[in-house]
Amino acid sequence: MAGSSTSYYFVIIGTKDNPLYEAEFGSFKQGGDGIPKFREEQRHMNQFIAHSSLDCIEDQQWASKEMYLKTVDKFNNTWVSCFLTGGNIKFLLVHDTRSDEPIRQFFADVYDLYCKTLMNPFYEVNMAIRSQTFDQKIKAAAKKYL
Amino acid sequence: MALPLEIPPRARSAMSTSKASPMYNLRSSIASTGSTTSLTSLFAGTGASLPRDIVDDIKSVIHHAFVPHIAVHVSDDVDEVVREKGLPDFYQLIRPYGEKVQGRITARDSQGSSVPFEDFAVRFVRLSDVAQKPEQKGNTGGTTFRNGEYGGTNAGIPEAINSEELPLADELLDLHLSHAEELIDTNLATETESHTGQAYYLLYLRKILSGFPVTPHETWAHPVACLIAISSRNTTPIDTLRQLYKSGSEVNIPGYVNKDYLRYYVLVHDEDKDDIVKSAALFEQMKRHFGLHCHLIRLRSVMCIVSDEDSVPVAKSQWLPASEELAELHAHQEEDIESDTSSRFIHGSDEAAIKTMVREMVAQSVIPFMERNIASWNDQILSRRKGIGGRVLSFSRRFLGSTGTRSASNSATASNFDSATNSYDPITPEAQMRKLADWSFMLRDWKLAYDVYNTIRTDFNNDKAWLHVAGAQEMTLISLLLTGQPITPKIRADTIDVYLDAACYSYVTRFRAIYAALRCLLVTVELLRLAGGSSAELAAKWAIKALDLNIRPTVSRALISQRVGDCYAVRQGAGSGGWGGRRRKAAMWHALAAETWIRLGKFAQARHCIDVAMPKYANTEFVLIRRFLDQMKLDSGHVNLLDLKIDTAVGETGGEVVEVEDANGEESQEEDDDEVEKPKFDGKRRSILIPQTPNGDAPGVMTVHESPGADGPL
Repeated sequence: MAGSSTSYYFVIIGTKDNPLYEAEFGSFKQGGDGIPKFREEQRHMNQFIAHSSLDCIEDQQWASKEMYLKTVDKFNNTWVSCFLTGGNIKFLLVHDTRSDEPIRQFFADVYDLYCKTLMNPFYEVNMAIRSQTFDQKIKAAAKKYL
Repeated sequence: MALPLEIPPRARSAMSTSKASPMYNLRSSIASTGSTTSLTSLFAGTGASLPRDIVDDIKSVIHHAFVPHIAVHVSDDVDEVVREKGLPDFYQLIRPYGEKVQGRITARDSQGSSVPFEDFAVRFVRLSDVAQKPEQKGNTGGTTFRNGEYGGTNAGIPEAINSEELPLADELLDLHLSHAEELIDTNLATETESHTGQAYYLLYLRKILSGFPVTPHETWAHPVACLIAISSRNTTPIDTLRQLYKSGSEVNIPGYVNKDYLRYYVLVHDEDKDDIVKSAALFEQMKRHFGLHCHLIRLRSVMCIVSDEDSVPVAKSQWLPASEELAELHAHQEEDIESDTSSRFIHGSDEAAIKTMVREMVAQSVIPFMERNIASWNDQILSRRKGIGGRVLSFSRRFLGSTGTRSASNSATASNFDSATNSYDPITPEAQMRKLADWSFMLRDWKLAYDVYNTIRTDFNNDKAWLHVAGAQEMTLISLLLTGQPITPKIRADTIDVYLDAACYSYVTRFRAIYAALRCLLVTVELLRLAGGSSAELAAKWAIKALDLNIRPTVSRALISQRVGDCYAVRQGAGSGGWGGRRRKAAMWHALAAETWIRLGKFAQARHCIDVAMPKYANTEFVLIRRFLDQMKLDSGHVNLLDLKIDTAVGETGGEVVEVEDANGEESQEEDDDEVEKPKFDGKRRSILIPQTPNGDAPGVMTVHESPGADGPL
C-alpha cells in the first residue's frame, strides 16, 4: 500500500475515544527516508482502522497482564499494535508489516515521553498534546526503532 | 429547487458514478406518501416483495433454498391447454405454487417422530434443464482441463458452478436499486427501512440461492421426483405416458444424477372442452397402470381476464434465478404496460386445483418417498458404515488400495471415485450417503444430516475428492448451525473456522468455483449472525472474506460490506459501557459501505448507511474521519448541511460557509441556488470545502482540535 517501504500511523487515544496526538511516518529501515507514503484515501482509513480497533482492545485489555498488547487487530493488510497505559490511554500504531519487538521498544520510549508530559502541571489527562518537543521526540524514537 | 431536478431521474440512475446529482432536503421535504404496497405494485413483475420480519426471514430464505427439486416433463398437448390460457407452458403455470405448499406438511425424522412444517416448499424445474448444461460441458470439460496440474479435477463440473450467475445477480440488484432510487427521488416512496435496509441484501441472498447448478458434488438440483403430465385431449394417453417415461429416462442426464427418482403422473383435464366422465375413466386406467402416484387436475382452457368473477393474478415466482428475472425485466421494458405479462390472470378454481395437486403430490408421494429412502439408506449404508464391520471394511479397502494399486497409474481405482468425471456413480455408497444427507436436510432433520455429512467427509477426503469434501464441509457447518446447538469457542475455532477455510480454499483455488464459495460463505455468515454474540463477530470476519472474492466495486460488494457492519452491530456489549461490543467496527463498515454506494450512484442506500454510522462518529475528534463523512454526506445528498457549517466555519480558508437558517432545510435550497458551483458535484469541490487546519499543517501531522472542550467532558 505504501510502495516498497512501509509507513506507520501512530495515534494516542484518550479515554473518550479522542485522539490526543497523531503522527504519520515512514520507515527508516532498508533505506527508507522516513516520509510516510500513504495514499490520500488511505489516510482516513488509518483513522477508521485505529478507531475501530478500540473494540478489540476493550476485549483484550483484560486478558493480558502486559501493557503491550502486541497486534490487536487486522484490517486487510494492515495491523494495529497497541500499548495500554495505566490511565487507560492507548497508544496505537497502524502498520503494514509485522514486527513485534521494534514496536515494543518504540512504545516503551513513547510511554516515557508521555509520562513526562503528564508531569507537566499545565497538562491534564485527555488533553491534546501539542508540544513541538514531544512531536520531535516521538519522531526521533520512530527513527530509532521503526 | 431547479438545480438537482433538472436531470431526469432515469438518466440519473443510469450514471454509475457519484456525479449524478443527489437531492437536497430529501428527508425533510418528503411527505410520507408511498407505502410498500404501492411500491410493489408499481414494481410488479420483479418478484421483489420486500419482507418484514427479518430474523424469521433469513431462516426461511435458507430453508427455502435447500428444497426438493421436482422435474417437470409434459406432453405437448398439456402445454397447448396452458397456452390457450395465455401462459407460456405448464411449467410456468405451476412453478410459483411449489414455493409455498398449501397447509401443513408433516415429515417423520430419523427418530420416528413427526415434525410439522408450515412453509414447506419444492422447486419445479424443467427436466431438460437438468440435462442440458452438463451435456454441453461434457464435450469440453473432459478434454480441456486434463493437462493442468490438477489433472482432470475440473472435468465434469458444469460451468454454472463457476460464477456465471454472479454478475447477473449484481446486474439485477443494480436494476432494483436504481428503481428504488428513482422512486425515492420522485417522492413516490419514502426512505424507510424496507427500501434501504437489509431487504435488498435478502433479495441478493435469495438470488444467489435460487437456481442451484446441477453438479456432481451435491444433489440439491438433482430431481427428487419427476412430474409427468398428459392432457385429456391426448388420443393415446397411456402410450404417451409410457413414451414420456421413456424419453424422460433417456434425456441426457449426467451420469452422476440418480435416475431412480419418483415418477408422478398427472392427467390434465380440460374443463371447458372435454368430458369429465371420460377423463375419470382414463384416470382410473392410469391408476391401474402406474400405481398410486397419479393425480387428476381439472383446469379451464379458456383465457381468463381481469373482469371474470373469480379471476386471480398469476402468482409470481419468488425464486426466479437472476438470469430469468433479468430477461423478464428486459422484456418488460420493451413491452407496453398494457400488454404486461405481469398482469395475467387465471381462474380461481384453477389456482385451487394447482395448489391441491402440489399439496397432494408433496404430502402423499414425494415426502413418503423421501422418508422411505432415507430410512433404507440409513439402515443399509450408514449403519453399516458406522459399525465395526464398516470400519474394518473401509480400512482394509484403503490399506489394500494403497498397496495394491501403487503400480497402477491411477491410485483412485480402489475407491469408487471417478476422477475423470470428478464424480461418484449414483449407486456407490458415497453418492447415496450424500443423497441421504441432502434429503434429510431437505426434510429439515438437521441432526441426521449433520451426522451423515460428518461421516462422508472423511470418505471423500480419503478419496481426495476435493470438490465433494468442500461440499460436505460446507453442509456440515450449515446443518450444525441449524441444529441450534450452542456454539462454543471450541466449535468456532476447531470446526467453523477450519472447515470454512478449507471449503473456500477448495472452491476458489482448486476449482475457481466462486459461486459455490460465495454461497457457502453467505449462508454460514447469516447463520452465525443469527447465533449472535461472538459468533456474530466470526460472521463479520467471514463476510470480509467474502468481500475478497470479488474485487470490483459492484452492488454485491456494497451489500456485503453493509452486511459486515450489520454483523458487527449484532454484537452488543455488556453493561452500560458496552464492553466487548463492536459498535465502532460496525460504524466503520457502514461508512465504508456508504462510500461504495456513492461510487455506484445509489445515494439512498448511502444515506441509510451514513445514518447508521453517524451516531458513533457524531463527536469524533478524528479530523480525517470527520471530513470523509462530511464529504460523503454532501455526495449522497444527506441533508445535514448544518453539521457542515460547524466544520467549515472553523477553517479560515474554508471559503464556503454554508449558512442554513432553518433546520427544515426548505430554505436552504434557495441558498444553494446562489452557490451554484457546489451542487453540480463535479468532484472538484473537494478542494474548496475541506478546511485547512488553522496552523496550516497538513492534517495528520499534528492533530488540531477545533473544539476547545476536548478535555472538558471528563
